Amino acid sequence: MSLKAAARLLKRAQREFTGNETRRVDLGFPITQNGMKMLIINNLHAAVGEKPILKGIDLEVRAGEVHAIMGPNGSGKSTLSNVLAGREEVSVTAGSVQYLGQDLLALDVESRARAGVFLAFQYPVEIPGVGNVYLLKAALNAQRKHRGLPELDAMDFLALVKDKMKLMEMNESMLYRSVNEGFSGGEKKRNEILQMAVLEPRLAILDETDSGLDIDALKIVSHGVNSLRSPERAMILVTHYQRLLDYIKPDYVHVLAGGRIVRSGGPELALELEKQGYSWVAQEGQEAQRGSGNATHE
Amino acid sequence: MPLMSDIVAHYQSQFEQHRNAWSWSGDHSWQAWRQAGWNAFVARGFPSQRQEEWKYTNLAALEKLLLSCEPCVPDPLIWDRLAPQILLPTAQRIVLVDGVFMPQLSRLQELPSGVKVEPISAGAQRQGVYLRDLLQQACHTTPFGALNTALVSEGVWISLEPDAAMLEPLLVVHVTTRAHRATHGVNIIELADRSKLTVVEQSIGLTDQPYFVNLVSRWSLGESAQLEHIKLQQEGERSYHIALTQASQQRSSQLSSHTFALQGNLGRNDLQVSLQAPGAFVRLKGLYRVGGKQLQDIHTSIRHESPDCGSDESFKGILADSGRAVFNGKIFVAPQAQRTVSQQSNHNLLLSDLAEVDTKPQLEIFADDVKCAHGATVGQLDAEQWFYLRSRGIEAALARTLLIEAFALDIVASVPAYPVRTALEELLRGLIHE
Ligand SMILES: Nc1ncnc2c1ncn2[C@@H]1O[C@H](COP(=O)(O)OP(=O)(O)O)[C@@H](O)[C@H]1O
Ligand SMILES: [Mg+2]
Repeated sequence: MSLKAAARLLKRAQREFTGNETRRVDLGFPITQNGMKMLIINNLHAAVGEKPILKGIDLEVRAGEVHAIMGPNGSGKSTLSNVLAGREEVSVTAGSVQYLGQDLLALDVESRARAGVFLAFQYPVEIPGVGNVYLLKAALNAQRKHRGLPELDAMDFLALVKDKMKLMEMNESMLYRSVNEGFSGGEKKRNEILQMAVLEPRLAILDETDSGLDIDALKIVSHGVNSLRSPERAMILVTHYQRLLDYIKPDYVHVLAGGRIVRSGGPELALELEKQGYSWVAQEGQEAQRGSGNATHE
Repeated sequence: MPLMSDIVAHYQSQFEQHRNAWSWSGDHSWQAWRQAGWNAFVARGFPSQRQEEWKYTNLAALEKLLLSCEPCVPDPLIWDRLAPQILLPTAQRIVLVDGVFMPQLSRLQELPSGVKVEPISAGAQRQGVYLRDLLQQACHTTPFGALNTALVSEGVWISLEPDAAMLEPLLVVHVTTRAHRATHGVNIIELADRSKLTVVEQSIGLTDQPYFVNLVSRWSLGESAQLEHIKLQQEGERSYHIALTQASQQRSSQLSSHTFALQGNLGRNDLQVSLQAPGAFVRLKGLYRVGGKQLQDIHTSIRHESPDCGSDESFKGILADSGRAVFNGKIFVAPQAQRTVSQQSNHNLLLSDLAEVDTKPQLEIFADDVKCAHGATVGQLDAEQWFYLRSRGIEAALARTLLIEAFALDIVASVPAYPVRTALEELLRGLIHE
């Protein structure tokens, strides 16, 4: 654990040294240190309408860590992501979520974002008529204002965004288009990571950011994500496939099935899944539902 | 003789008292013309919801108002109150206040050659026969058009000679400062062949008490003429604004008209366009916005009378509180009007459960080789879009505002004249962020 962290710090130092580090602005977050508990999910149950979907999730994420959550389609991965981001259609029926020492579930959507929670959507939303650059600026300034920082002036803001766009290999013209409107699948995913790069969240949840990406786009997106790894930031990568994890190395892998985490382990678990598929998971998921689950937790 | 309703009797007494009061129309011919308008109004009566054209628009409150049509002398010192409302302060403009031409508030010194802008009172003697004929055609087709003829006090007459061009926008401003009055005005725009004009029509109310503005507009576009028209309805809280516009278009002429019905208690716009020769193209766009108990009613009629003409129509509505709106879009394609291309849409954003819109496309197509598309939607703010914006840290109320703005600004974005478009954007943003 501490070895890993040291390796990451070293990598980061190297990036800085080679001048690859992108521009950063102080976002005025409370100081988080590597290893500090950032997110504690305890026995979380959630439903959409009458339908229970999450059935007792336990998960702890520390600053600096990257957790992958894998699982078959329909297992509740997006629902978990949405609960964390605050989507109102999902109702929490039991359990708790602590984020940086506060009750995350008590905060509304925008307050969570301002507190540093970021969700990269599985299906980024098109918003005709709202400019991409406008959204970025409004979001960044809303977050800065919340933290008592002055708004960035137009020049500094543009410099920052253009910098991040280079990282994502995005054409500047995309700034002046409507949010995600007419973007290809890959462009939408890149745009999500661009927003993340600009907003510099504490806790980033990436919901199937890899799905629908060709290999080149996957590399660009992964590079963007990797450049945002830092000791004071945690990430949850939600993915169906192991492929993404070739590019973004997780510290932990969890398998979600039937609304519960049925298995947790290191990166090797992902490889195991790749070989065996999800059929065994489904079985464990069913057992979990019967209440006799023998899910392994750390 | 049918029994005269109270409201018709009221306007009759106004007509009889004031018909001679406007000196420009004192001669016999003008008096006969007014009388014909009055007769047409009596024949039609005051509209009621039993009539198809007024089915969704209740005028009972207007019917109860006994408004004065007496000519008045406007207060010339209103400039300080008016100035902030003028969309383009440095543009050439003609200003009418309470139905009176105000030279001291107008700016007509820098018109390009071939462009004439004057009050109709100035041209009434010189061009009487012509003017009467022109207006009569329009006015008698609707009850308020007929009432307008009987009681019109003043108007604006814009004419462009062949090849004349006025590319900087010209402002036509109708202002109401006095309450409890009905003002009947006209706008005439005549574009000779190949001439070009951009005109911004503003109707501004400077009183929050009841009043009624009744406008009739006649536009004619000669061959290859181009008219870009933008109308801004910024009436007072308890206003009634009713306007009838009739346009005729000759070969290869292009008309673009944007109607922004943004403020006022009740508004009704009838836009009737006749495409009379090949190559004529019309674009009608607009945005209506209602809150409280306001109502905006848009009735459009586009007549494709000739082959090879095009029309592109798109109206959007934003409805809050108990606001109501009506959209009725008629497209008529005559048997000979082959190769007509026509597109119509009406999209409505309902921000409250109490708001209501009645939208109706009305297609009457008698030619077989045509491309006509139409569609109407009524919806709410998109929950996904709202969540997305908030998930980036944007406050719920601002996120909502941004989405409303995006919906509305789409119509503004199609205004071709740059200075008008940017001024409108600013105005609209201000209203939506209120
Ligand atoms: N809005 C919704 N309404 C009804 N059912 C939903 C809704 N969202 C998700 N579900 C259901 O919840 C389950 C989990 O969905 P989801 O979290 O999207 O899974 P995953 O992301 O793992 O594919 C599925 O059975 C899905 O059909
Ligand atoms: Mg999903």
